[in-house]
Amino acid sequence: MKLLTTVSSAALALASVAAAQDLPGSFEGVTIEAKLIGGQQYEPLYARIAEWEEATGATVDVISKKNHFELDREIKSDIAIGQLDWCVGSNHSSFAPQYPGIYVDLRDYLPEEALSDFVPGNIESATLNDRLVMLPRAQFDVSALYYQKSLYEDEDNKTAFEEEYGYPLAVPDTWDQVADQAKFFADAPNFYGTQYAGKEEAIAGRFYEILVANGGEFLNEDGEPAFNSEAGVEALNWFVDLYQAEAVPAGVPNYLWDDLGQGFASGTVALNLDWPGWAGFFNDPDSSKVAGDVGVAPPPKGSAGVRSGWSGFHGFSVTEDCANPEAAASLVWFLTNADSQKLESAAGPLPSRQSVWDHVIAEAEGDAYRTDVLETFQVAAEGAFPVPQTPAWIEITNVLYPELQAAILGDATPQEALDTAAEEATYVLEDAGEL
Amino acid sequence: MKATRLPPHVMLLLPAVIVLAAVVVLPLLLSLWSSFTPFRLTRPDSIYNFVGLRNYERIFIDTDFWIAFGRTVLLLTVALNLEMLLGLGLALLVDRQTRGQRALRTILMFPMMFSPILVGFQFKFMFNDNVGLINNALQSLGVTDQAIPWLIDGALAFTAITAAEVWSSTAVFAIFILAGLMAMPREPQEAARVDGCTPWQTFRYVTWPFLMPFAFIAMTIRSLDVARAYDIIKIMTDGGPAGRTEVLWTLIARTAYSDARMGLANAMAYVAILLSVAFTAFFFSQLGKARAQVAGDW
Amino acid sequence: MDANKTARVRKRASAWALNVTLFIAMAIICLPGLWIVLNSLRPTVEIMAKPPIWIPRELSLQAYVDMFSGVGQGGIPVLEYFRNSVIIAVTSTVISLAVGMSGGYAFARYRFRAKSGWFLGLMLTRTVPGIALSLPLFFLYARVGLIDTHAGMILAYTALNVPFTIWLIDGFFRQVPRDLAEAAQIDGCTRWQAFWQVEFPLARPGIASAGIFAFLTSWNEFALASQLTRSTDSKTLPVGLLDYTAEFTIDWRGMCALAVVMIIPALLLTYAVQKHLVSGLTSGAIKG
Repeated sequence: MKLLTTVSSAALALASVAAAQDLPGSFEGVTIEAKLIGGQQYEPLYARIAEWEEATGATVDVISKKNHFELDREIKSDIAIGQLDWCVGSNHSSFAPQYPGIYVDLRDYLPEEALSDFVPGNIESATLNDRLVMLPRAQFDVSALYYQKSLYEDEDNKTAFEEEYGYPLAVPDTWDQVADQAKFFADAPNFYGTQYAGKEEAIAGRFYEILVANGGEFLNEDGEPAFNSEAGVEALNWFVDLYQAEAVPAGVPNYLWDDLGQGFASGTVALNLDWPGWAGFFNDPDSSKVAGDVGVAPPPKGSAGVRSGWSGFHGFSVTEDCANPEAAASLVWFLTNADSQKLESAAGPLPSRQSVWDHVIAEAEGDAYRTDVLETFQVAAEGAFPVPQTPAWIEITNVLYPELQAAILGDATPQEALDTAAEEATYVLEDAGEL
Repeated sequence: MKATRLPPHVMLLLPAVIVLAAVVVLPLLLSLWSSFTPFRLTRPDSIYNFVGLRNYERIFIDTDFWIAFGRTVLLLTVALNLEMLLGLGLALLVDRQTRGQRALRTILMFPMMFSPILVGFQFKFMFNDNVGLINNALQSLGVTDQAIPWLIDGALAFTAITAAEVWSSTAVFAIFILAGLMAMPREPQEAARVDGCTPWQTFRYVTWPFLMPFAFIAMTIRSLDVARAYDIIKIMTDGGPAGRTEVLWTLIARTAYSDARMGLANAMAYVAILLSVAFTAFFFSQLGKARAQVAGDW
Repeated sequence: MDANKTARVRKRASAWALNVTLFIAMAIICLPGLWIVLNSLRPTVEIMAKPPIWIPRELSLQAYVDMFSGVGQGGIPVLEYFRNSVIIAVTSTVISLAVGMSGGYAFARYRFRAKSGWFLGLMLTRTVPGIALSLPLFFLYARVGLIDTHAGMILAYTALNVPFTIWLIDGFFRQVPRDLAEAAQIDGCTRWQAFWQVEFPLARPGIASAGIFAFLTSWNEFALASQLTRSTDSKTLPVGLLDYTAEFTIDWRGMCALAVVMIIPALLLTYAVQKHLVSGLTSGAIKG
């Protein structure tokens, strides 16, 4: 019923948005240089740039198109040489804190009603030091639990599970249940209970969200690393325990997102906490063996009763050195307006505007799987939280993940591993002048 | 035309020197300077802050760095020697074929046409423990019923990376040694056979000394661009898990771009460059010796 | 008689065994490549299947159709990447051959002070790993406006290839007897004419082999290209491979299809010049 209330509130929002639909303005003769994230999933939106050009008389010159990580490198290089007079850049909520001060506060260029339709949580995550540094496009990411439905309908499974674990088999709602069921379903090397990304920001992020779900903090109020707490050890133990029980593939410490997606699609994994981008892939018989048998549940809760909800989103920013910030802001708004988001989310990604959420849910009517996916991710989105907003986040994940791996592989105990990582993270923060 | 009064060899070398100075030497001087600063990409002003040898001091007491250093040396030694042996074997096999040389040689060079970054993806998928080609094959053939964690276990991951590296680069050795075999005069071999030498003796005392310069030139060339292996390792494991496959280049790249600590990374890079220089200079001197021997014999 | 016969049988058996070994070796070399080709023709569900599907059930050119279907419709700007790759690789190969010929000729034909020192110095510039070079080079390029241009990439690859081309070509000129050119000069040729009419034709195999190595290096290079290129103005095919990766997903089939597109020209070129290639490497090694 939550759904219905959002629908009606969004209907109200829609009215005010309609007025702001005209925002583009007139910028005859202006050229806007843009650095955009490339890749199939992101491209269709850029076809709309021509419409904006026509409406405003300005031209857009795309001077760079790269994937997420390469673009991050490029922007850091640009900061180093002080070449920031291009105007519009793709941005990401996890990377944005690393670029302090290069992007304008979009509130200075956009009227408040132009922003009212965005999901408040997204706008909050896009605000750093009281500056709205980016507008989110319809590429919002939070995870949900994908599972093979048939496993839960099988009577033998039900009886055997209840006998062994003392509670009825149902789609898990807590991380402890995920662990129990993963061990129950696992039959290495042919079938695995679950899996997780095991390196880089990916595992650091997963650890971070279970830490939060267990009631822990990543950095404390003073900005010092605090993840080597009891809640942290409990979170890390979840990873270690499943690895040692062989409930996850032996290769997980080297897995990244693509390995997880391919693994679940190959039909050899029972439960998979993963991103919305895979929803279509998993249910497409051309790409997935589990097509037609995929269920989706909200992300599990930790021991503190909090749902996991590490989230991020792509968006667009305007540089401080831009010669025509009004025109640039207009383009950014146009690329994230309701029509743009409808276009992007039609292919599967999640929107960041309330009216578009309602639109996609209405569109999905009659498609049980798609409706299920959207409703689940909407629940997930409600509990979503961004990464700690420190410029050193990526750097901290780089000292944290080798230690997490060491614990998973048995080279160190969880407490030792986290203490070492906390110590190194403290050095990182000190070197960066944040402590 | 006063400018043409320069000696001809200077004129002839000038283009090469200019290009290399502009593209290699100048940037290196810049990075040498930045290795004496706490330069961070995201704080451009930090490049003017001179801290002397602090980055180098840090490296010297950093055990992770020296472990990566040792692993890099080990990887280079193992990979280069394996490539030479396999390359030699391949060249000998191809050389004795009388038909289809053209096709065989093209196939021999096939792996050289794969961009290292592609080799990385390819072998990462092949060595995947769950749905990878290698484990699937081993399990189908009944060799094992385990999912071998190729990219996890330190030794296995090292093997997997070496396999990828060897696959992509053995061709260089094979081609050079093949060139040597084709250029080799046949009379000494005939003479050795008539004198009653076994095939092994003929190879050891007649063929191999002649081939040695070719092997060493290939060795030198390979040691010049071993850092290409970075692309492969970056994709396959990126130094993980838990630093088990960390080599200098992955460490440098992560420090430089992901952590944005360019100053420290450049100090590391200088150590890595010295290592490459040492390897190259060593093979170069070996090449000189082998050449001298061949020249003396023939 | 009997001893002869056993010897003959043994010889034939060992020849047969060697042929089988060669076949297996060639298979190992080819398989990963063929696997890529196969992957580009199969749906992802079959590639990542478990239990594995060894014999493809359906083959389709869908990945190739998608690739060329235009940006925004699942395609990538493959024609632009291809154009950039060809322009950059060919031009830088030609320039590095010219620079290498001039440098190699200097080393082969003239005596000057610290010659071996200069030679080693030029070679050692090649030892700098791309990853260590990429940022400082980016700094310089940004100052002079060479970022994301063909010229910038051509210059970088020329520098990458020059040491090796000098080495190979130097060895080749040494092999060409000095008297030949001198005789030509006596016959009334200028030194320039003597070079083109006498020395150059004899050194052609060496130049061909240096050329193919230079071409393959430029065609496949990634580390520098990823830092120095930005848009379709100069992005090359290896950088384009990453268009198939997104933040969370990777289109392995599409990547394989692009890989095939990348490999075919390199394969054709190698096949065309491989005869020169092997003989071209010969003299570089012995004379030094």
